[in-house]
Amino acid sequence: MLESLTVIKDALPFLIQGSLTTVVIVVGAMFLGLALGLAMACGMVYGRKWVRVVVGLYVWFFQGVPVLVLLFLFYFGLFNFMGLTLTAVAAVTIVLGMTTAAYQANIFRGAILSIPSGQFKAASALGMGNVQAILYIVLPQVLRISIPAWSNEFSIILKDSALAFVIGAPEIMARTQFVASRTYQHLPLYITAGILYFILTWSGVKGLRALETKVRIPGFSLHGN
Amino acid sequence: MLKRNLILFVAVVSLIAGGFTTAFAGKKIVNGIDANFPPFAYIDKTGKPAGFDVEAMEWIAKDLGYEIEHMPIDWDGIITSLLTKKIDIIASGMSITPDRLKKIDFTIPYWTINIVMVVKEDSNITMAELMKGNNRIGAQQGTPEAKWLKAEAEPRGWNYKIGYYNSSPLAVEDILNGRIVGAAMNDAPAYDAVSKKGVKILGNFGMEPEDFGYAVRKDDTELLEKVNASLEKLMATPYWDELVLKYNLKN
Repeated sequence: MLESLTVIKDALPFLIQGSLTTVVIVVGAMFLGLALGLAMACGMVYGRKWVRVVVGLYVWFFQGVPVLVLLFLFYFGLFNFMGLTLTAVAAVTIVLGMTTAAYQANIFRGAILSIPSGQFKAASALGMGNVQAILYIVLPQVLRISIPAWSNEFSIILKDSALAFVIGAPEIMARTQFVASRTYQHLPLYITAGILYFILTWSGVKGLRALETKVRIPGFSLHGN
Repeated sequence: MLKRNLILFVAVVSLIAGGFTTAFAGKKIVNGIDANFPPFAYIDKTGKPAGFDVEAMEWIAKDLGYEIEHMPIDWDGIITSLLTKKIDIIASGMSITPDRLKKIDFTIPYWTINIVMVVKEDSNITMAELMKGNNRIGAQQGTPEAKWLKAEAEPRGWNYKIGYYNSSPLAVEDILNGRIVGAAMNDAPAYDAVSKKGVKILGNFGMEPEDFGYAVRKDDTELLEKVNASLEKLMATPYWDELVLKYNLKN
């Protein structure tokens, strides 16, 4: 027991460094997913037929193929073929970002569709163009509505990031394994890793909840009050 | 909002910068290691790569005037990483096998390793009982011993079932859990396990000893020649014997 605690204490700085790698991967992936997902959601709702087809194919592909397979395909295949010498961390961030973009596109699409279409007409009655109406009327509401679903997506991606080590990104799980192989204290170390993930998920979800409250428009919400 | 943009910007820039530094650094070679393979390669208490092969490569790199970086890679993907130039060399207790030689080149053999079966310390099972009985045994996925056990079971009339593990320490853990009766692994990591956990070495189970070599890409003949020359030099120095002693390779 005491031995386990000493091992955990010694390993903690090393594991926390791994948490930073995890955070970089997840934050990078979530924002990449936000940018791509929002653009794709607009394409799905407002786009021409071919735009909808392209976005549909993208979503279908990234939802259908496991992240593990995508990591191998992109890191050893596509990125290499394109001559990109990305670090493992950068590659994982991009692959996870592209994956979450497919899911986020659907989150934002649902949110856009939930905005009453009368607002669009009202906007054009005020002399706003389509793009203006989307940017200033629809999207600000869409982003607010999407926070709870986005927070779910965040915790899913956070846990998916544990797959990063298959291509050599030294995040929490990989580092946990390294220490366990040297010390043979597998169980205590995996419990520690679980706690680190729990802290990350909890603070992320909590932060997004606070954001949700902060940006709420008083007297206006789709959820009632 | 501005602050968030700034954080995002910094993250993106550092990722790109990280990508470029690896691309344009001069005479640097990247050594891919299986960091779950003590005593040949592992991560030490301070979080740095260590081990017999790591220190040997440090010496060789210094001798050749290269900068060296040791990068932990998942064993399953380590040869793919070499072939796709993510790493330049694998110095991590890799056995020279005919299968591997089809894809990659090896340096001169630097260490001969025996493959042994590890069982619980208090077990009194014999090798014959272990192999013939309906037992579950473990091996690290992607290793010659895993392949050998699978191929030899039928011709030799053995009835075990094989469980595949990510690393041999994990297999040892499962021996102690009682999920497998024994695990096949190289002798040096087995000594390491015996010194730290309640397991013992049952003995050899019929597999021929194997030679370890450092692996490089087939088209990288220049690196192969240089490393070969330097490795030969290193093996003639007393430092080599010191390393063997330090990492308890002979027990």
